[in-house]
Amino acid sequence: MTRCTVTTGFFVLGRCGQAAAGSCPHCARPVCAAHAAPGGACPECAAARGYRTQDPHDPTWVGNRRRDYYQRSSRTYQDTYWYSSFDEYDRGAFNPGDDYSYGGDWGPDDDTGFVDS
Amino acid sequence: MRHRAAYVAFDRFPSSKGSAVHIAQMADELFDRYGGGLLGVIGGGDLPRYQREGTREIARFDARIPNLIDRAEAFSGWVADHLAPHWETLEVCHVRDPWSALPAVADGRRHKVVYEVNGLPSIEMGHTWPWAAPSTLGKIRELERFCLERSDAVVVPSRVIGDAVRERGVPEHKVHLVPNGADVPGATERPADAPERYVIYVGAMQPWQGLDVLMRVFARLADLDGLRLVVCASVPERRAKPVRRLAERLGVADRIDWRFTLPHHEVAAWLAHAEASVAPLTGCARNLDQGCAPLKVIESMAAGVPVVASDLPAVRELMADGEHGRLVPADRPAELARAIRVLLEYPHEAAAMGRRGREHIEEGLTWARSRARLAEVYRTLDR
Repeated sequence: MTRCTVTTGFFVLGRCGQAAAGSCPHCARPVCAAHAAPGGACPECAAARGYRTQDPHDPTWVGNRRRDYYQRSSRTYQDTYWYSSFDEYDRGAFNPGDDYSYGGDWGPDDDTGFVDS
Repeated sequence: MRHRAAYVAFDRFPSSKGSAVHIAQMADELFDRYGGGLLGVIGGGDLPRYQREGTREIARFDARIPNLIDRAEAFSGWVADHLAPHWETLEVCHVRDPWSALPAVADGRRHKVVYEVNGLPSIEMGHTWPWAAPSTLGKIRELERFCLERSDAVVVPSRVIGDAVRERGVPEHKVHLVPNGADVPGATERPADAPERYVIYVGAMQPWQGLDVLMRVFARLADLDGLRLVVCASVPERRAKPVRRLAERLGVADRIDWRFTLPHHEVAAWLAHAEASVAPLTGCARNLDQGCAPLKVIESMAAGVPVVASDLPAVRELMADGEHGRLVPADRPAELARAIRVLLEYPHEAAAMGRRGREHIEEGLTWARSRARLAEVYRTLDR
């Protein structure tokens, strides 16, 4: 029997495990009746359709998402140069690849937050 | 689904780190109050990009952008995109850092913003990124000030960090103290692979945690046969490399047991059966100026273990010297070693300290109490 592989849980995550009623037309993962959105999509794909693309390799994401947000928030600041104020010199210290850079690597279990309890 | 509440954090969730425990408690309270909500956090790995649990929705940012500033700015843009569909219905947006706050405090909003300051990146990043220029940290400080100024309420876990926030010009009436907490665990079984006698360190591996001091301390306790140090690290094994190298140089490596990214309930069991829990936080600006609210201290007391910790203002807020454990000057391995030695030689007194620590948590530092205080902050916003 194919089981639903949708991730469930808020703090402790697990798999749904109910019998699958079909597979998601977008990503093909098995989904049970309770988790299938209209059209049979899995919750992830269904939610993603509510937002614009978040793929950083997609040229529209790079070209449009960041730019229109920057424009909006620079109005907030009344400073059109706000984002360019972090220049290459500022950014250089945050490049990954040395032992000092505790937050520099990028992996699923790395330190990603700015602050710790 | 349109939400009335959102909680945004540039932190991985869930994870074995203390920040994830804190996020779970605070977000749960927010979503309980507003009938669900959107949780915007960091993902990657096996974590799904979107998840829905009843009326709660979790969105995870997983773009692999190596440079931290680029990544933070991209996260800001991502948050803006994810808040946009809820702009009309959103009543409260709870944020944990300036890059999460930036889109939330934008003009034209009708929602209230609660900024939870667990630390100030302009201070903390100077420690985690020693090559960051003072002028860069100055820009981050300005960003913090901007977001704090525009927030409706600022939540802090300790008085020390409350003072740091006030120094940035946040008026007194906006600052609310919501201490960290712990849930007092019931009786736990001794971990199967636990050594006979051990002292324990629980937490992450950043330089300001003082693990180098702890290694030097343990070198001074070499005569105590059979005593081992258990390090329950909340980060993956490769983060421990510098500390393990130091332990080898000091000749203590073979007396240390390492455990990495254990689930929370297993850490509680390791804590409960330790002789003492050590929090050797260093006396750096990160710990002194911005303060901290070390969960390791609270959770150790909840587990009934006497704590030996650095005597820092933020730690004093949580425990008393001689009452719940011992406070010793920061960065002094000899004094820390002496305090541990004395504790080990007086097991009855140590056990009494552990019991008093547990009572102290039960009386005033539970998550239930923290959440009640947070609920009160939300109530003041509604007025």
